Amino acid sequence: MTFVFRMAMREIRASWKRLLFFFICIAIGVASIVAIRSVIQGIRAALSGQARALLASDALVTSNRPWTAPVLERLQAEADGGRITARSQAVEVLTMVRPTDRAGAPARMVELRAIEPAFPFYGTLTLEGQVYSHALLRNRGVLVRPELLAQFGVGVGDRIQIGKQQFEIRGTIASEPGRRLGAFTLGPRVFVDLADLDSTGLLAFGSRASYQMLLRVPDPALETLVTDLRAAFSNEFVGVRHYRRTEDRVEENLTRAEDYLSLVGLVVLILGGIGISSVTRVFVQQKLRSIAVLKCVGSTSAQVLGVYMTQVLLLGIAGSALGVALAAVVMALLPSFLGELAAMLPANYGLTPSAVLQGLAVGLLVSILFSVVPLLEVRHVKPSLLLRDAPRTAAPIDWIKWGVTLAVGVALVGVAAWQAGSLEVGLMLSGGLIATLFVLNLAGLLLVRAVQPLRHARSFALRHAVLHVTRPGSQTRVILLAVGLGTFFILGVRSVQANLLRDFAVQVGPNAPDMFLIDIQQGQRDAVAAFLDEANGAAPGPRLMPVLRARVVGVEGREVDLENYEEVRRGRGLSREYTVTYRSQLETNESVVAGEWWDDTPVTGEPEVSIEEEVADPMHFEGDDRRGREAGPGEAPPARRLGRIQVGDRMRFDVLGRIVTARVTSVRKVEWEDFRAGGFVFVFRPGSFAGAPHTFISAFKGPDDAAARARMQTALVTAHPNVSVIDLREILRTFQEIVSNITLAVTVVGGLVLLSGALILIGAVSMTKFRRIYEAAILKTLGASGRLVATMLLLEYGVLGAIAGTIGALGAIVLSWAIATHALEFPWEWSASITFGGIVLTALFVAAVGVLASLDVLRHKPLATLRAE
Amino acid sequence: MIELRGVSKTVDSGGHPLTILHPLDYTIRSGQFVAIVGPSGSGKSTLLGLIAGLDAPTSGQILIDGTDITTLSEDGLARLRGGKIGFVFQFFHLVPSLTAFENVLVPMEIARRKDANGRARQLLEEVGLTERAHHYPSQLSGGEQQRVAIARALANDPPIVLADEPTGNLDSSTGRHILELLLNVRRRHEMTLVLVTHDAELASLADTRLVLRDGRPVEPAIEAAR
Repeated sequence: MTFVFRMAMREIRASWKRLLFFFICIAIGVASIVAIRSVIQGIRAALSGQARALLASDALVTSNRPWTAPVLERLQAEADGGRITARSQAVEVLTMVRPTDRAGAPARMVELRAIEPAFPFYGTLTLEGQVYSHALLRNRGVLVRPELLAQFGVGVGDRIQIGKQQFEIRGTIASEPGRRLGAFTLGPRVFVDLADLDSTGLLAFGSRASYQMLLRVPDPALETLVTDLRAAFSNEFVGVRHYRRTEDRVEENLTRAEDYLSLVGLVVLILGGIGISSVTRVFVQQKLRSIAVLKCVGSTSAQVLGVYMTQVLLLGIAGSALGVALAAVVMALLPSFLGELAAMLPANYGLTPSAVLQGLAVGLLVSILFSVVPLLEVRHVKPSLLLRDAPRTAAPIDWIKWGVTLAVGVALVGVAAWQAGSLEVGLMLSGGLIATLFVLNLAGLLLVRAVQPLRHARSFALRHAVLHVTRPGSQTRVILLAVGLGTFFILGVRSVQANLLRDFAVQVGPNAPDMFLIDIQQGQRDAVAAFLDEANGAAPGPRLMPVLRARVVGVEGREVDLENYEEVRRGRGLSREYTVTYRSQLETNESVVAGEWWDDTPVTGEPEVSIEEEVADPMHFEGDDRRGREAGPGEAPPARRLGRIQVGDRMRFDVLGRIVTARVTSVRKVEWEDFRAGGFVFVFRPGSFAGAPHTFISAFKGPDDAAARARMQTALVTAHPNVSVIDLREILRTFQEIVSNITLAVTVVGGLVLLSGALILIGAVSMTKFRRIYEAAILKTLGASGRLVATMLLLEYGVLGAIAGTIGALGAIVLSWAIATHALEFPWEWSASITFGGIVLTALFVAAVGVLASLDVLRHKPLATLRAE
Repeated sequence: MIELRGVSKTVDSGGHPLTILHPLDYTIRSGQFVAIVGPSGSGKSTLLGLIAGLDAPTSGQILIDGTDITTLSEDGLARLRGGKIGFVFQFFHLVPSLTAFENVLVPMEIARRKDANGRARQLLEEVGLTERAHHYPSQLSGGEQQRVAIARALANDPPIVLADEPTGNLDSSTGRHILELLLNVRRRHEMTLVLVTHDAELASLADTRLVLRDGRPVEPAIEAAR
């Protein structure tokens, strides 16, 4: 053992520089795994036990409608019975606000939450520079997010207009319990006193408010109370949640996020592993004589294998330890990088022992697994090599090698499954990786063959560059794999992003509506229409579409028979609240696929409805609405819910408390991507809601000039405070931000892969440098100038880079096409600039790295080199 | 004692069998100095390699102190070499990543000798390289490298030392020094020395000469042991 260990240390002393880059790859992979796992475990630790703060209560009852008497009575009864120890109401509503004192300032959409003194039961509402107390809100006080102050150019003490009422800004919100980080919001948060909400007039009929009842419940009673309330409110359109469910779900999501994100690190590691495998092969070739000498002076094959395995093991440990150190640095820098986000998530950003252990274990495993097969070659080194170069006899099939290869494969799948937390994902990842590597390898082979004709090029430098790329034993393949994969990631993501943004921009095209009005009351209809007509000038005036909010509470059909909301909820994905409309004509993005569309006349007798085809098909909803909802005892058998809703069937709707039974007279297909005309699942024939109150929405093309847009919004909101304006251009901006954030994240991943590619490239260059130095010496002796040798190197790596870039670009085209057409379903378009730009940049990158790594070759004096040989 | 019984070696040369060494019977007694001589390609180095177990014969038996080494596995041969045979190559074959001292140390470490460090120092002193102990092979001259190789061959006190043209790659004066060193060491340690050379003068110093031509011993040259 001492011999093996000492020998391994001596070998490291001699060759660590050549192997360094591969173990830096290991370090990067380990660092990503450790950092990602640590961050998420930190967040998980911070959140655990704070699930109550997410709900701000033990249990939360929510509804889209004002509380009905039975609900309030039941809650009162539970409070009397002691199962509920405290209650606090809150209402969330989307609305527009604007500064009162600054004429012409644009109105902004906000997410308003009106709360009672007891809010929150758990967690804290933190303000900047002061402590929250409900007294701040009393008598029309308002707390706002700092971004709103910035947008309005106002400060604490100034006043803003919310609905019909003025409020005084009394503080700025730093964080609030339960506000989801990074979640898509339509506007910044604003808090007011629930007692002041009525005076704003925002809770007018049909407005989009969420009514919340926060409950404090003694822990033992929690589960049963929630079950009982759910049962009691099953026909009341009321949802009941408790914190433990939220906790479970958060836990589950974080675990999944941790496992999936760490796979990025694993991919980098495996890439490093491929580099290690390749370099080990070259390394053994270079060590043949030393191995023969060791065998000649008495060491067994097992001892020699032991020496080199120990070497790999020690370097693997060093690389993994370096990775942990890198992760520690990243973690130390993270809070300042995250800035405000870190403040909102008071997690302990440090390395967690479990993440460190996993990183070390995976780093070490990958190092060993990828080097063991090439190292097995040392068994075949014969000491007779020292007497003469023995002709290589055809070796019989090396069963041990194949057995070990198989075992290594299984072990790698095991590592992937362990890291992904799922055998299935592990298998998929390994399969995907093998397929990708195979395809990349094949593409590399074909492209290398494609440049073969250049061997007869006129230019001496180009001719030799191509010869070097195609010669056996060069590191071409592994460089192509590593660099190609990195390019593939980055270009793929870039093309998806470009397509996504282009597609969205097309939809918001120059003449498409880009402003939406919601919550227009019946009494405001004419005034708003007149306002829009005037603002629109000569263009045809925008239509105001009537909308009502409805729930399906029953279906009487040949194949479907659902008696009440309870059955609808259990049976199919129809349980959500729908926004419905009525009109006499089909929109341009609709076509009738069954039944017949009605004529212009309003219905006089039984109401009629046209349904969207996917609602008709029960298969479409399989598992959709039921995910995450446990089956209650005595749940209805599924027999009656599988079937199609057909023309002629009757559906019962609850339209704000009124039951409307309508006959299905047609089934429509709706092009949802073309949302300009709006998309409605249920369209009724005019006259179906005779007399029922409803609101209107409108979509129109706003002014192009930003100032004019703001003026128009402000004028509209000033005249009609309850009307909300959704500016598509702002949503587009938000969307672009989200897309570029995601793109940045994935580009970082691609960058990591490309960085490992560069390291593998540098490693491969330094591994084969001795041969190049020798060749350069001979060429120089024969009269080649230093410049010619430099040109040769530049061209060689340029050709290599161009091939790698082409592989990556081709892969990126396939990837972005597949994502566009299959996953995201939007039209795909090839981007020449990304493809060719990517190839050129990769070629330049590889050429630069290759030449810089080969500076030695240029510097060496030929005589010294030739003497040493 | 080394006994060769009908030892031959045939290799595949471009699809045709090529006999490098025809069946040979030969015995080398313990403590003898044998010179194997002959022109290039006569099979001298092959024979030496076979005796060291660096290669397997096509036919015949090789007995070293009564053990038929042709029945041993690769690892068994390695152990035999480690304990009983020291080998000196024409091209030195030091491990380039190890210092002179470490190169001498390696066989003793493999054999787990307790006194390895002290003995390595002593051996380097014996070959006159104490000053150069911590230099790498690339920093040593050819003669110095060969002296390290001799020290390495002697490391485990082997009863047999095999040398394959140990001076063939050195200038004549350095070669003479190396040879004197080798002969001195042999006398002091009373070991068997089998030396391949085509230097007639050198061969004349041997107890016995085995002359090979085209893989066959040349009869008149075989002299009875004195």
